Amino acid sequence: MPTIEIEYQDFVKLLGIKIGKNVEKLNEILAFVKGEVKAFDEKEGILTVEIKDTNRPDLWNVEGLTRALHGFLGLDRGLKNYKIVDDSGVKVHVDKRLWMIRPYIACAVVRNLNLNDTIIRGLMRLQDKLDQTYGRNRRRTSIGLYNFDLLSPPLHYTVTKPTETSFVPLGFEQEMNLKEILEKHPKGVEYGHIVRRFEVYPILLDSKKRVLSFPPIINSNDLGKITPETKNVLVEVTGTTYETVLNTLNIVVFSLIDRGGKTYSTTIKYAYSGKNETVVTPRIEASTILLKVEYVNQILGLKLTAKHIAELLGKARFNVKSRGKNSLLVYIPPYRIDIMHPIDLVEDVAIAYGYNNIQPLWRRLPTTGATNPQTEFYDYAREIMIGLGFQEILTYTLTNKQALFYKMKLKPEKTMEIANPKVLTLTCLRSWLLPSLMEFLSNNQHVEYPQKIFELGTIVIPDREGETKTREEQRLAAVTTHANAGFTEIKSLLDALITSLNLQWQIREAVHPTFIPGRTGKVKIGKTDVGVIGEIHPKVLKAWDLEKPAAAFEVDVSKIYRLTLQDTDK
Amino acid sequence: MTELRPHERKTLLILEKLGGKASLSQLTAEAGLPETAIMRAALALQSQKLVEIEERKEKTLILTQEGKTYARKGLPERRLMKALLKLNGEAPLHKAIKEAKLRDNLVSIALGWLRQKGWAKLEKGKLKTLGTPEKEGIDERLLRLLDKNRSAILEKLDPEMRKTAELLKKRKLVEIEEKTVRILKITKEGQNLIKRGIQAMEEVSQLTPELIATGKWRKVKLRKYNIRAPVAKTWPGKKHPYLRFIDEVKSKLVQLGFKEMSGPLVELSFFNFDALFMPQDHPAREIFGIYFVKSPKHGNLSRYRHVMAKVKKTHENGWKTGSRGWRYKYSVREASRLILRGHGTALSIRTLLSKDLEIPGKYFSIARCYRPEVVDKTHLTEFNQVEGIVVDENLTLRDLLGVLEKFAIEIAGADEVKFRPDYFPFTEPSVELSAYKKGYGWIEFGGSGIFRPEVTLPLGIKVPVIAWGLGIDRLFMMRAGIDDIRYVFTQDLDWIRRKGMV
Repeated sequence: MPTIEIEYQDFVKLLGIKIGKNVEKLNEILAFVKGEVKAFDEKEGILTVEIKDTNRPDLWNVEGLTRALHGFLGLDRGLKNYKIVDDSGVKVHVDKRLWMIRPYIACAVVRNLNLNDTIIRGLMRLQDKLDQTYGRNRRRTSIGLYNFDLLSPPLHYTVTKPTETSFVPLGFEQEMNLKEILEKHPKGVEYGHIVRRFEVYPILLDSKKRVLSFPPIINSNDLGKITPETKNVLVEVTGTTYETVLNTLNIVVFSLIDRGGKTYSTTIKYAYSGKNETVVTPRIEASTILLKVEYVNQILGLKLTAKHIAELLGKARFNVKSRGKNSLLVYIPPYRIDIMHPIDLVEDVAIAYGYNNIQPLWRRLPTTGATNPQTEFYDYAREIMIGLGFQEILTYTLTNKQALFYKMKLKPEKTMEIANPKVLTLTCLRSWLLPSLMEFLSNNQHVEYPQKIFELGTIVIPDREGETKTREEQRLAAVTTHANAGFTEIKSLLDALITSLNLQWQIREAVHPTFIPGRTGKVKIGKTDVGVIGEIHPKVLKAWDLEKPAAAFEVDVSKIYRLTLQDTDK
Repeated sequence: MTELRPHERKTLLILEKLGGKASLSQLTAEAGLPETAIMRAALALQSQKLVEIEERKEKTLILTQEGKTYARKGLPERRLMKALLKLNGEAPLHKAIKEAKLRDNLVSIALGWLRQKGWAKLEKGKLKTLGTPEKEGIDERLLRLLDKNRSAILEKLDPEMRKTAELLKKRKLVEIEEKTVRILKITKEGQNLIKRGIQAMEEVSQLTPELIATGKWRKVKLRKYNIRAPVAKTWPGKKHPYLRFIDEVKSKLVQLGFKEMSGPLVELSFFNFDALFMPQDHPAREIFGIYFVKSPKHGNLSRYRHVMAKVKKTHENGWKTGSRGWRYKYSVREASRLILRGHGTALSIRTLLSKDLEIPGKYFSIARCYRPEVVDKTHLTEFNQVEGIVVDENLTLRDLLGVLEKFAIEIAGADEVKFRPDYFPFTEPSVELSAYKKGYGWIEFGGSGIFRPEVTLPLGIKVPVIAWGLGIDRLFMMRAGIDDIRYVFTQDLDWIRRKGMV
């Protein structure tokens, strides 16, 4: 979820009303935009807001937030008259060699700005947030801002060899070539991987061959720096997706218009085969969606009129035209990239109406509640174990090979391992349950004995046949440990469990390195192996730092459940 | 009738024999029982008002090592005096010492006391008697007595002896120990009881099968227990506190008409993300949001070919859902990437695809889920989600709010509910539920929404689907009075054993 920082005083000024500093009150207002105060540093005047919607980059700065809130708070309605004043006359020529590298660019010139440090800091934060999230860490899009008065159009979005072009990157004093920037500049180190695999790198030049920027890495220190004295700005976005590039430009341009700027368009001349065309940017015209009154009411369970819906959409800052009695034509501002379907407008209607003004309805549907039949069986098995005096425990299904095999004196087998583990102790899914119990005992040596514990839990075994390449079993494992614990005791307990499940079982001699030879066996129901039982080998006890004898069993209750079904089938 | 245990009876009778009054040590010697046993019996007798116990502080005199030696060999001054008398009452000092066989360190002591007792005097190296002293001084008598009796009670000595004792203490020949002495005295009631005769029934503590079978239990006395005495701790077998709570939630959901769903822990990205209309380059899919399986990397999606073709189109251009779609190139390969289930909603998708789906239908699951988080007080890397869906024609946002309100009341026992706009990539509208409970305050209790058409239509579902998830861990923490989510998977047996009902 995107978290943004805004300057409180600036926010209040833009909003134009008093909102106080009470976080609960602020949250009530921010609820309209799915926002929540995460921190409020009153001393620095910084409000940190989390915006839940990952699909609303237009809310990721103070201008956008204010634009949306003005509508919901009744301070403004509909879509403001955002427009392009005129053509700036700036042309941008795109080199065809960029097609496989970073093909798209969009620019706008914004004039008559009256910038200050607060606004510039806000722009930098927005640029950062958009680059990281919507721009997928600059892979998809990246933004550049320039002092337009220093530029000499037309611009050339072209390519250059890494060592061929040099310029002074932002924040540095010395000229560096592109290769050096990737090696030495912090932004080069951070984002270099995006371009490094290409033989030539993207570069944005003006008509005097001066470097504006090395997209998506860094701007020029001479041309790409905005100060409070800057009056006219060139905004540029490059990227790999045409639409995203245009959307990103719009979000920045709309914020600058909100700050009093006048926008002028630019002309992008692409030289790609099949896409040999001229595009004028920014493209801020609204798109439209036809919204049926019936659809809105069908989703919300309300009986709103077309007029009422139009009013609510106005609060959500859409312009609306009536299309007959039962439909509305809704104008979608270009920054509302989240509006993909009429359903998205319906939600905005509901938010403007107020969720808490909608009467909840509990309908009795003719459904029958039930747990899975196997859940009932497992719960019964748990009940028996508890009746036998065992404490139920709950452990992670994530574990490590050390615990599953080495400490149990087994040869390692294939398990489902994680490609990106977070800690070394949680690297794979367990393929049997007993190690989880041994670990638990190992952590409780200081606790009163006797200790009798069990768990009924899932284990995961690699299986090439399955659609997820795994097979799951529900296992029940139990351990008893105290000064006199032993095979006889655990056999008697397992017998109590299985006979309570209305089954008969046998034990057959087996070799299992976890248990003492001659004191371990396979658990069989009919001809089916369902588990193991035995007295834990002292080597295993030692591996877990345990000093009391222990005896255990582990059975596959999912298999036993299926056996009971077969029994009743007969 | 007064019932006496054997030791009590014996103690009382011996006390009677000793004249109705005796000290604890006397009784111990007479009864041949350990002092603690007599004491316990005495206390019991006292509580029945059959005897009185008098406590007295007593000072006991005992000899020090030095005192013991002198008691046997004689005081140094006596030994020197005897030697001097043997030497006719006058002799050079060294001669007298030699005669007395006194060691050097005792010489000055002997001389000092000879002078103090007025027995002899030293003049120009010659020792001379001043008369014949009595044969045994009072101090010597006390030493002898103490040597013979091992000890003496200070209070019982005559005043002169007591003074002497103090003197000997100064000479470090005796020590005085303070002791509490208990004297037992039979009360009038005790006398009466003895006169009436004390029941001589055999007492047993354990009722044995033999006693029952033979009928002998009629002839014995079953000892009364001190029922207030502490006993050894017993730990019951019981459910894990969190699982017990989950069982309760489960049964409430069943009562509300929900059926349980199940599905695999290792899941296909398709069910976890794609079918939920989460684009393949969605930030949540990035390496930090989900655990990927190391090997094999991909599962088998061939069973779902038809559905996937629709999901693909929906992602790319909206297909027939009325949506614009995400407008990117969808990768079938990416959809088959194996992961550990990141949320329970994957199960809801499997259920919607199942041929057993009922409409109307209500489903829930308690799903183990995984996220690569660093475990701390508020985050687990492996956790449980309680999620579900309601499927029916004509469901609306009002039904969604109704379901949430019902959960808040039935499951959280809430007094008040509040709704806030929420966001999930797969629901629209989306609602966050907060529940207020007296004494606990507001807690965020769940997230929910109506599945987007881009989710339901490719699955062939043409009716609205309400999807909800409950913040069950936070509710458990609230009910259990804990502020650390790690207790859900605690390794602390003692905590589990002691934790009462949640």
